[in-house]
Amino acid sequence: MEIIVNLDVMMAKRKISAGELAERIDITPANLSILKNNKAKAIRFSTLMAICHELECQPGDILEFRDDPKE
Amino acid sequence: MNWTSNKSIRLSKGCVVTFAVLVAVFDLIGWKLLRDLAVHVDTMRGWTRPEMILFSVCLYVLSVPAYILLLHMWKLLSNIQKGNVFEAANVKHLRIISYACAGAVIVGLVGSFICLPVLILPIAAAFMMLIVRIIKNIFQQAIEMKSELDLTI
Repeated sequence: MEIIVNLDVMMAKRKISAGELAERIDITPANLSILKNNKAKAIRFSTLMAICHELECQPGDILEFRDDPKE
Repeated sequence: MNWTSNKSIRLSKGCVVTFAVLVAVFDLIGWKLLRDLAVHVDTMRGWTRPEMILFSVCLYVLSVPAYILLLHMWKLLSNIQKGNVFEAANVKHLRIISYACAGAVIVGLVGSFICLPVLILPIAAAFMMLIVRIIKNIFQQAIEMKSELDLTI
């Protein structure tokens, strides 16, 4: 059971690089990398809001819930 | 005088050094001190030679956990001074400090068989071991919370 962060897809659609996005939403490239690689344990609403604003998308476009297959 | 956390750490380090010097002084002249006490203290005058030797050995063996404890206290304080507080290394130092206290409890119990009033030492060491273990548990929880916070973007 996990939340997948599909930032790469939206970044490719909007043709924006990781460094540029990190600068625009005021987080470090290292933290953006943690987010992209699904290593983050939590995301602040303020960060999510900034990402959605820059990528012109909804939270559901970048966050996906994946359940374990029920036996 | 403005009291800062850095000054507090320096004071603690000073106390660690003072204790280390006291232990070293006892290691150097302890045998003479015990010999003089054996003459002047009524309880000790009745001891046999093997009892006296065993008690002296217990006191000297206590130096080992004392030095280990003081070394790890110094390392712990140095890490805290550098700003590295909630880290796995500090949990390890606290664990070793608690083990050193446990060693002091065991040796102190042996010594208390010869001189009952010495029982206060292993009791105090056991209490200190308990306090240190609780602090170690707190540090472990804090490390988990810090890790959670560090990975909150």
